[in-house]
Formats: sequence, structure tokens, C-alpha cells
Amino acid sequence: MTVTRDTTVPEQRRHVMRVRKRNGDLDTVDVNKIVKAVERWVGDLDEVDPLRVATRTISGLYAGATTAELDKLSIQTAAELIGEEPQYSRLAARLLIAYVDKEVRLQGVASFSQSIRHAQENGLIADSTAAFVRRNARELDDAVDPAGDLRFEYFGLRTVADRYLLRHPESRLVVETPQYWLLRVACGLSHEPAEAIGFYRLMSSLAYLPSSPTLFNSGTRHTQMSSCFLVDSPRDELDSIYERYHQVAKLSKFSGGIGISWSRVRGRGALIRGTNGRSNGIVPFLKTLDAGVAAVNQGGRRKGAACVYLEPWHPDVEEFLELRDNTGEESRRTHNLNLANWIPDEFMRRVEADEDWSLVDPSDAPELPDLFGEAFDDAYRKAEKKAVKTVKARDLYGRMMRTLAQTGNGWMTFKDASNRLSNQTGAPGNTIHLSNLCTEILEVNSDDETAVCNLGSINLAAHVTADGVDWAKLRETVRTAVVFLDRVIDINYYPSPQAARSNPRWRPIGLGLMGLQDAFFTLRLPFDSAAAKEFSTRVQEEIFLTALETSAGLAAESGSHPAFARTRAAEGDLHPDLWGAEPAQPDRWAALRKDIGKHGLRNSLLVAIAPTATIASIAGCYECIEPQVSNLFKRETMSGEFLQVNTYLVRELKARGLWTSSIRERIKRAEGSVRDLTELPDDVRELFRTAWELPQKALVDLAAARAPYIDQSQSLNLFLSAPTIGKLSSMYLYAWKAGLKTTYYLRSRPATRIQQATVSIAPVEAVACSLENPESCEACQ
Amino acid sequence: MSLLDPGMDLTLRPMKYPQFFDRFKDAIKNTWTVEEVDLHTDLADLGKLSAAEQHLVSRLVAFFATGDTIVANNLVLNLYQHVNSPEGRLYLSRQLFEEAVHVQFYLNLLDTYVPDADQRAAAFAAVDNIPSIARKAEFCFKWIDSIFEMRTLESRADRKKFLLNLICFAACIEGLFFYGAFAYVYFLRSRGLLHGLASGTNWVFRDESMHMAFAFDVVDTVRREEPDLFDEQMREQVRDMLAEAVECEVQFAEDLLEQGVSGMSPADMREYLQHVADRRLAVLGLEPMYDSKNPFAFMELQDVQELSNFFERRVSAYQVGVTGTVRFDDDF
Repeated sequence: MTVTRDTTVPEQRRHVMRVRKRNGDLDTVDVNKIVKAVERWVGDLDEVDPLRVATRTISGLYAGATTAELDKLSIQTAAELIGEEPQYSRLAARLLIAYVDKEVRLQGVASFSQSIRHAQENGLIADSTAAFVRRNARELDDAVDPAGDLRFEYFGLRTVADRYLLRHPESRLVVETPQYWLLRVACGLSHEPAEAIGFYRLMSSLAYLPSSPTLFNSGTRHTQMSSCFLVDSPRDELDSIYERYHQVAKLSKFSGGIGISWSRVRGRGALIRGTNGRSNGIVPFLKTLDAGVAAVNQGGRRKGAACVYLEPWHPDVEEFLELRDNTGEESRRTHNLNLANWIPDEFMRRVEADEDWSLVDPSDAPELPDLFGEAFDDAYRKAEKKAVKTVKARDLYGRMMRTLAQTGNGWMTFKDASNRLSNQTGAPGNTIHLSNLCTEILEVNSDDETAVCNLGSINLAAHVTADGVDWAKLRETVRTAVVFLDRVIDINYYPSPQAARSNPRWRPIGLGLMGLQDAFFTLRLPFDSAAAKEFSTRVQEEIFLTALETSAGLAAESGSHPAFARTRAAEGDLHPDLWGAEPAQPDRWAALRKDIGKHGLRNSLLVAIAPTATIASIAGCYECIEPQVSNLFKRETMSGEFLQVNTYLVRELKARGLWTSSIRERIKRAEGSVRDLTELPDDVRELFRTAWELPQKALVDLAAARAPYIDQSQSLNLFLSAPTIGKLSSMYLYAWKAGLKTTYYLRSRPATRIQQATVSIAPVEAVACSLENPESCEACQ
Repeated sequence: MSLLDPGMDLTLRPMKYPQFFDRFKDAIKNTWTVEEVDLHTDLADLGKLSAAEQHLVSRLVAFFATGDTIVANNLVLNLYQHVNSPEGRLYLSRQLFEEAVHVQFYLNLLDTYVPDADQRAAAFAAVDNIPSIARKAEFCFKWIDSIFEMRTLESRADRKKFLLNLICFAACIEGLFFYGAFAYVYFLRSRGLLHGLASGTNWVFRDESMHMAFAFDVVDTVRREEPDLFDEQMREQVRDMLAEAVECEVQFAEDLLEQGVSGMSPADMREYLQHVADRRLAVLGLEPMYDSKNPFAFMELQDVQELSNFFERRVSAYQVGVTGTVRFDDDF
């Protein structure tokens, strides 16, 4: 930027405010005109006040602003009222739709097929998709449902408008409306207009959304639609390490999230025979990876991201755990990499028994990363004779806990459970070496095969009413989702040859779930209740069972996936059998077994619960299987900050005549907790507890109960507002014993917070009350 | 024995002001470093700003270039010697470190935002060259000088002077000048702009909130120990001081916003500053002077929990200095 020096201020006429129209003419600002423009979009929103939006918009306006600025400001103004009345979210979304619509129409685009042609002329659309749309233009144009736009909340639509809609390469104007976008995504994956329209309707109803790479890229010239790549550790040699940097950069460029192991690379001080020198260990190499990941910008939509996995017997494990610390030598810190521990059971057993743990150099025991279960235990015990260093297992475990508490990183993922309970590891030589960036994908890979997974998530909120689940609708959604996830495998562009090799053989997909918290609110089930656990397990069984049935059906049509014979399913062992679980629908499982016996499966893996951060926002539901973090919070994204309020709670408070400014202020003061709102009955306060107020044991128990019906894994975040090593070590030991394959972030909260600027000041005498514990007293904050 | 009695109390046990020690420990848990703030997307954003917004940002960073240094100077030259409590001085030492980190952050920010050496030098010299910033600096220097020559607080008048200085730095400088500046940053962030500036500022703001709370805690402690100090004359002086600070900050706002920024008018900014000033008075138990309401809804966003998507933003909600030992039977 350049620094502006003192300039002469243009004289502004403040008595008559004028704005500049899109054609360049000046126009006086008239509050009534703004009111009318807003009123057009009010419709069924009975709690919004267009005059309020108009007057506040004018108060923020300056003389000579453009009408486009005026439109944007009125959208922003409406959005800022969400904390008072959630209906303003819908109003702001509709004003934004009008804005986007105008932008598209001004480029001469009046229909879906015109939007595709315009985008293709500007090099944005794949020729095949363009031809498909041209052939079926009328049918597709007629399928566009204008009411679809009215389903969005503001935050979701803002995200779509800023990051998902295709833009003209030079003018940067959006060339498609939100409905055109979803229909374009559907067309990119369809052979017939009827199936495109069916898939479009499902997405437009927000009952299911594929993951972001598919939403970004389907139908475009770069059809990289997979979310996750699992790269095996480089071999213990320089060429292999640099090949991995190259591969990671290519995968990252096209929106993939990367998991990469580093367990095979020798540690600090190990001999390098070629030069007779000693190795500097893995940290300098990870520093290079860190810089490489940060340099890749995924089409301006988000930064590249990667997670490095390391097994805890690696000699550099202690330095690895410090990579995210915010103190110490910067050349040994990697602020862009996520870190995960890939933990064998033997380590946890020794932690529990308070025994020693040996650190072994991979150059002395190169077989360890490929082994699990007893084979690993035996090999590890032999390798211990060559130990580089011996530590107390508990000391290292404590160090892991500290890293989790201080950085949220250093995720605990369990190698043996992941391998023992996988469909892909039935035959010798197939090992899962790591999980992915979000710890929900578990797939075998090797030096020359990079595992790939494409994802999508069902919005459970759209399948549940106060009467319960619409099971038929849920099954229908699963069937459509599986067909289109499977389709991605063949249409996908694979950014590296290693990725292109693996996917056609195993054909894994990851069908997930979001909006579980919405379902619990609708059904009034407290998150930690037995009924909630039973409900979540039955939903997961239905999804997994239907997904398997659909995959068996696809196998009947197109054949089983080429590696099917090497899977446990081929031996008759399905995932619940590996867990020894007792399904609630034994007859359907029995019929399924027969089908699989006859046709095999089209996909080696089907289900994974991804975090759904962005697509849950678009669908307007809570993220995956997570409890709400707060009844009132903000989301920070590249598009800005967005206030989010629990609409289920608002409905409840309104019904009781309690949605008042003083109650709102109390909720804000309590950082979104309703624990002390004694006006509400106990059961209501219990229902609306936040993740910070729930026993975390319940989250682990729910995850373990549904796990038999998830053949990959789940992105399970855990929440402790004030973590201690004691709590953490108890919690993760419990999670391991419960049989979880993976866990994800540890979420915690800052020790103190920014002083609240918009809640009233406590009276002065309260200031002295907090000597014991300053955190607990708002007066001090 | 009172907090402002002259001397160098060295004994931590028995602890007379444990709340100061607790604040010291909490501050340590919030440790952050400049290297954690990623400014690279800001550079792309700067190119997207309108001329009017560019002007706003350039003035704003010019203010930040010296703001924290001034606060640090007052801390060392005036506050540290008179707060006669070893645990209070522990907190002030920590605060001094934090001010240094803030200075380093804004140094890094200007070096990144303003690549041209001459322009960069001009930005750092803003305190002399840009009238709207110079006026705020003069206000600060006036209050630093007001007790600079005082070696000990012997008389009632000395202690009143000290309290005024302390209140000035808490309520007017950290509590109004910085709060004003933060409003611009958060305004930009609510529009999705300058995330690097916003995330660093978020951490600065968290620290400043604690500095202010500590200062007001000292004021309250002294008022409890020596109730007669805070008399009507002093109340009047506090009100005058805040009114002058509001005027300083309003003329700064008129400079920043002179080219017209959609969503932030000088009139709204004045309203906001008056509202903040009323809040500072309320903490001191004084009646509001303005009865103004906060016109900026985006400031509400600062009052609620944040949830970042790690794909997009670095999560700032972690603590350092976590304690305990490995156990298997804790509740969780």
C-alpha cells in the first residue's frame, strides 16, 4: 500500500445525500426507496422491520457512494441484526440473492444454459458438461427452482457467493446464481438429464451436499473433486523426500487436504552412509514441507493444508511435538502443519502399566510402519535392542497431552484399531499408515499409491421432525449420495499418478452426516442421554446398511471393485462383525450378506464422518456429529465474521415470552450459556447445554456406539475449556479403551478474553468480589 | 500500609494483593508471538481497498506505529515506581513485555504493509507530521509529564495526580484511543478484510483488556484504602480528561474517514466513542456524560465466542502453561 499524505478534503454536501447509480447518474438517497427495496423481500418474515434496515443503512452511508455500495450496506445492515431477531438472516440472504442475480443478469445471462455457455466461453466449463447442457437445455432450464434460493441462511449464502460461484476470469463478476451452481455441479456428474435434475433437487433442498472440492470443481475444466489424500511416508532417502514435496504441492493446488506420514525417515544423529555424516533429523524437512504447503493457494479459496503423522517410537518424536509451540527457535517450528500421533496399542499399554518406551531409528527397523497388531509388537520388542533412547512411556504421553492442550494439535489416532477394524487390511501387505487431514479417512496406501477419498454429507436436520426420522427419505438420500460419490471416482481428475493408481482399485467413498445436534434439538434429546446415543447409533446403522446395499447394487451392474477379493468383506466379515456389534436390523443384514456374496461390493469403504465445517454452513445446520459450541457465537471465515444464534433456543424463548433484550444480554454475558437462565425449566437448560458444559465422556461414548457402522472413522473433536494434563490423560486413555480409531482437535478456551464492548458494565462494588478467581467474574473481564 | 505508600516492598508472602498475582498468571497463559500472525492475505486485500479505505488503513497503522511505545514508557517511567506491591510489579513487568510484543507486531505490520522506505519512515514519523495523530500524542505526553518529576507520593495531592495519570492511560489511552482504533480493524474484519491485522489485533486487544482491568483494579484498591482521594474535584478532572480524549479521537476519526467509507460515518464514530467513554465512567462508578448508544453492530461480534475453520484462520483459543500430571481417573 502507499501512505496517503494530507490531501484537501473534497467539500461534501451533507444535507442532500446522493449516490451514484450503475449507469453513472447521480440520484438522491431516499429512505422510502430503500424501505421499498427491502420490503420486496420480506414475504413471510413477520418479525423484520424494513424501516430499521433502511435508517441504519443511511446512517452508515457517505455522499457519493455508489448504488452497489448502498445495496451491499443494506445487506450488511440486515445481517447485523441477526442477534436480535434470527429472521434477519433470511432477509439478508434474500437481499444478497437479489444482488447476485443482478450481477449475473447484467452480463446478459437469463437462464441456466446461458450461464453455462457464458462460463464456457470464458474457459471455465468442461466441454463435455457444456455439450450435455446444450443438448438438454430446455429440460434443465425448466428444472431450476427459484424457491431454492429462499432456503439459505445469510452465512451460508455469503459463503456460496464469495467462494463457490464461478467468476469471470477478468471482471471477477459471478457468472452463475446459487441454483445454477448446484445444477452445474449435478450436470458435471450426470449421464442423463433426469438424474441430473434429481441430484440437483436433493442438493437444492439442502438435504445432502457433496464436499467442497466437488462443489468447487464439478463440471469445470479442472474436475478434481476429492477432499482427501493420504500420502505414505517418504522412503528414507533424499529423492523420495523431494518427490513427496512435489506431490503434496500438486495435490494441494487442486483443493485437496493432505495427510502424510513421516515415520520412515531417519532421526537426528543417525548415520548417513553416502556422506559418512549424521542426519539432522526430520524437523528441517518438515520445515520445508511447512513452507511448501503455505505457498500453495487453492485458487484463492483457501490456503493449502496438511497433517503430518508420526509413530511415537520415532527418535524425533519429542521435537515433533514441539513443532507448533509458539516459543523456541523459529527454524524448528511449523505453524502451517497439523500434527498427529499414530499410536500403536503397545504404547498405550506401557503408559497404563507405567513402563519404559524405546525410541528406535527407522533405519534400524524399517519394517515397523508396515506392521500392526502382534506382528508389530514382536518386531518392536526386537528392535528395542537397538534403541536410540529410552523414556518413560508416561512422560512421553504427558508431553503429548501438553501439546494437545497448548496447541489443539498432536491428534491422538490409533494405529492398531484403525488396521484391525478395516475392510482393506484383510490380506497381508495391506496396511493403513496414517489418517488424513481431518482424521476421518482410513485407507491403505504405499510408496507408489496415494489413497484418495471423495466425500459428501447428509443433512440429518432435513430428515427429522418432532415425530422422528423420515426413514424412507433418509434411505433415498443415501442411495442417491452413494451413486454420485461413486461416480466421482471415474470422472475425477487425479493430480498425481500415485493418486490415480489407488482409487480405481479400491473405489472408497466417504458418506458422512451433519446436523446431528439439530436432530437432538428437534427431538428434545440431551446430547448425553441414553436415548440420544441409541438414536445416533440407529441412524448410523441405517446409513451404513443402505450404503452397503447400494454399493452391492452398483457391483451387480458394473462389477465389484478390482481389489474386492483382498477385502474382509470378501471373506464374509462386514464392519459390524469386526466390532462384534449386534445390529438392530438383522434381516436386512442377512439379505445384504447374500447380495455381497453374489456380486461383491463396488466400494471397499463407504462411510466417514467428516467435519463439514463449510458445507454445514451452507446447509444451515450444525457441524457433523458435534454438539453446539455456544448458543451465541461468531464464525470467522475469509468472508468476514458472522453472528450465529441458536434458532431452536430462540423459538423456545419466544414461546415463553422470554426473548427480550435483557435475556439476550445475559446470554451474551455468559458467553452463550443458558445455565443460569433460571426462568427456563431445568430440562430446557439441560437440552441447550454447550459443548463446554457437556461431559466429554458422553461424546466418546456416542462415538464408540456408532463406530461399528462407520467403516472409516469420524472427526471427533473434544472440548475442555480449562484442560489439565490429568483430565486429558484420563480422557484419551478412555477413548483408546472405548476402541475409537481416531480423535481430532482438542478444543479449549483462552485464559482470559477480550473485554466485552456491548454488554452493560457491572456496578462498581462488584469489582472487588473476584479476588479468588478473576476468570469467573465478568466485572474483571 | 497502603498500595501507594512510597517504598520498594519486596516480600511476596504473605501476599497482600493476590488478585494481582492471579492476573499475572492469567496473562502468561495468553502468550503469543508475532511469528504466529500470518499477514500474507492482507497484502492481497490491500490492493482491493478503495482509495478511501487505503487512507483509513494508512492512518491507522501510522497511529499503531507509536501507540504502544507511549504506553510502555508511561508504565516504566511512572507506574512501576509507585505501585508498591511486588505482585503488582510482577503484573506490570508482564504488561511491559506485552507492550513490547505489540510494538514488534505493529513494526512487522508496517514493514509488510509499506514496502517503500521513505513512506515507511513517514508512517513512523506520523506522531510529528500528521496533525490528527500528533494531537493524540500531545495529550499522552501531557499526562506522562504530569507526574514525571514526582519521585514519591507523599501528599494526598500527589496520590491524586498519580491516580489521574493511571486513569488517563487506562480509560483514555488504552480504553479510548486503542478502542477507537480496534473499531476500525473490526469494521474491516467484519467485511472479510485484513485478517492478519485483525488476528494480531485480536490478541493485542485481549492483552489490552487485561491491562485496563488491572489498572482499574489498582484504582479500586486505592479507593478502598484511601476513600477520600476520589473526591468531587477528582471526578470533575476525570470527566474533563475523558471529554478531551473523545475530542482528540473524533478529530482522528474525521481524518480517517474524510474520503467516505461505506458503513462507517464520522457521526457514528463519535457516537461510538462517547458510548465507550460512558462505559469507562461507569467502571469508575461515575454517571454517564453522553448517554450515547453503540451504533456499530459489528462490535457485538467481539463479545461472543469465536469459531474458526482451521482451513481459513489460525485458531487463537489456546493457553500456554497447562499444568498437572498423567492420571487415569480424572473426570472429563
